[in-house]
Amino acid sequence: MTDLASRGAPHAAPTAAHPKRVRLHPFGLDGAPTLLISLTTGAALIGLWFLVSWLRLVPPLFLPGPEEVLTQFLAILDDGYAGATLGEHVSASLFRISTAALLAASFGIPLGLAMGLNRWVKGVFDTPIEFYWPLPPLAYLPLMIIWLGIGELSKIVLLTLAMFAPICLSAQAGVRSLPIERVNAALSLGATRWQLFLDIVLPSALPEILTGLRIGIGVGWSTLVAAELIAATRGIGFMIMSASHFLAADVVFVGIGVIAAWAFAFSYGMRLLERALVPWKGKS
Amino acid sequence: MLHVHNASVFFSARDGRVVHALDRATLDIDANSVVVALGASGCGKSTLLNAIAGFLPLSDGSITLDGQPVDRPGADRGVVFQKDTLLPWKSVLDNVALGLKFAGVPARDRRERANELLRMVGLDGFAHSAPHELSGGMRQRVGIARALATDPKILLMDEPFGALDSLTREQMQELLVDVWARTGKRIFFITHSIEEALFLGTTVVVMSPRPGRIVARFDLDFVRRFAQERDVRAILSDPRFAELYDEIRNLVHRPHDRSHEGGDRPQ
Repeated sequence: MTDLASRGAPHAAPTAAHPKRVRLHPFGLDGAPTLLISLTTGAALIGLWFLVSWLRLVPPLFLPGPEEVLTQFLAILDDGYAGATLGEHVSASLFRISTAALLAASFGIPLGLAMGLNRWVKGVFDTPIEFYWPLPPLAYLPLMIIWLGIGELSKIVLLTLAMFAPICLSAQAGVRSLPIERVNAALSLGATRWQLFLDIVLPSALPEILTGLRIGIGVGWSTLVAAELIAATRGIGFMIMSASHFLAADVVFVGIGVIAAWAFAFSYGMRLLERALVPWKGKS
Repeated sequence: MLHVHNASVFFSARDGRVVHALDRATLDIDANSVVVALGASGCGKSTLLNAIAGFLPLSDGSITLDGQPVDRPGADRGVVFQKDTLLPWKSVLDNVALGLKFAGVPARDRRERANELLRMVGLDGFAHSAPHELSGGMRQRVGIARALATDPKILLMDEPFGALDSLTREQMQELLVDVWARTGKRIFFITHSIEEALFLGTTVVVMSPRPGRIVARFDLDFVRRFAQERDVRAILSDPRFAELYDEIRNLVHRPHDRSHEGGDRPQ
C-alpha cells in the first residue's frame, strides 16, 4: 500500500492534491463573506472615535471619548440614573415594546390575513392604514397625550400604532404571494375553506409575517424615544431625553448603546425564530 | 364514467377580446382507460383539464362524473400538476397524507396508507425528507402518490412530466403505467409529446387551437401491451407506432380547415 502510494505520488500529487479550482465569474455580492470587513470597519470607527477625542478635535461636551462613555456606563450601572437603576430603565422600555409588539401582532396579523382574503375588509381598512402609517409618530404624539393622558397607555398605544402597519401589510402580502396552484391542489384534495386557511394560507404567509414582525419591532425601537417623551420617569428613551436637557452627552451615548444592543438582540432573536419556524424559506 | 358533453369555454383576454379556449368538446373516460389529450399550446387541453378538475366553470355544456355534475374541485378527482405543488413545510409523508388529513382520517391510518403509496411510487426511505431535498422526478412521484391517497375516481394529470429531463421522463412514464395497471384508475393525461401520448394512452384525442377543439381520436393498445410485456423497444419499433406518430404529427401541424364549420369564431 505505502509503496504503491509513494510510487504514484510524483505523478498524482501536484495536480490531484492541489488542483487549481475555478468557478464562474461572480457578479455582485454572490454570497462572499463580509463579516471580517464589517468587524474591521467597526474597529476602525471606534479607533477614529478614540483619535478624535484624544486629539480634542471636538469639545468633550459634544463628543465624549469612549473611555468617558464606558465610565459613565459603569456609573449608571452602579448608581442608576434619575432615580432609577439601569435595569429599571431597561425593563420599563422592554415592557412597553413587548406589550406593544404583542398587541400589534395580535391585531395586525389577523387583520392583514383578512385583508388579503376579503375584498370588503381590504376596502374598508386600506384607507385608514395607508393614511396613518407614513405619518411620523411624533406627529400624532400630541393627540395620544390629549386623548389618552400621560400614563402608560398613551406610550403603549403610540408604539402599537407604529408597529401595527408593517405587521398588517406584510401579513397581507403573505396571503397575496400564495400561488393559486397550491390552493387548487388543496381543494382537489378535499380541503374545506377552514382547512384551506389553516393548512395552506397561514403557513404560506408565515415567512412574510415573520419578516413583518421583525420590521415592526425595529420600528418599535426607533419610536421608543418619542413614546418616552410623554411624561415618563423611566425608560431608556426617557434617560436619553433627560440627559440631553443637562447636555450630558456621555449619558446620551450610553442610552444609544443600550438601545442598539437590545434592538440587535431582538432582531437576532427574530432571525433564530425564522430559522426554527420557516426552515423552508427560499428553498422552494 | 366521466362524461364531458359539448363543453365550451370563453375567456376574456387582457386586451378585452374574447378568447374561445374550448369549443364543444365531447369526451368519455371509461373505467380502466387512459385518455391522453395531445396538442400544441393554446389548444385548450389545460382548459379542459381545469374544467374537469372543477377549477374553471364552463361557458356551455356539461361535465358529469358517475352521473354527478362537476362544478367544483373535490377529492373524487385527483390532480397532478405540471409544477409541483407540494407544501414545503411538510415532510414527504405528510404531503402524501394531506388529502387523508382533510378527510379526517386518524393520523396512524393515514401514515400507514401514505407509506404504502410511497412504496408504490418507489420512494420508500424518503418519507421524512423535505420536498426541497428531492429531485424534480421524485417530487412528481410524491405528487402522484398524494393524488392517489384519497382514492379518487379519476386521476387528472396536467403535463406532469413536461419539466423533467427525457431520461427521468421515461422512468416516470413506466411508473405511471405500473400505477395504472395496479390501481386500475382511469386517467386523463395532458401532453404535447406525441410519443408520450402514444405510449400512455388507451385513447388519444388530438386537439387544435383557436378555438380549442378535439379534431381526432385514436384508440390504442400500446399501453396495455407494455403493462403486460414490459418491453419498451418492442413498442417503439412497432411499425404501427411509427405510422400513428406520423399521422398525428401531420394532424398537429396542419392548419385546420374550418370552412365547413360556420363562422363561430369570436371577433
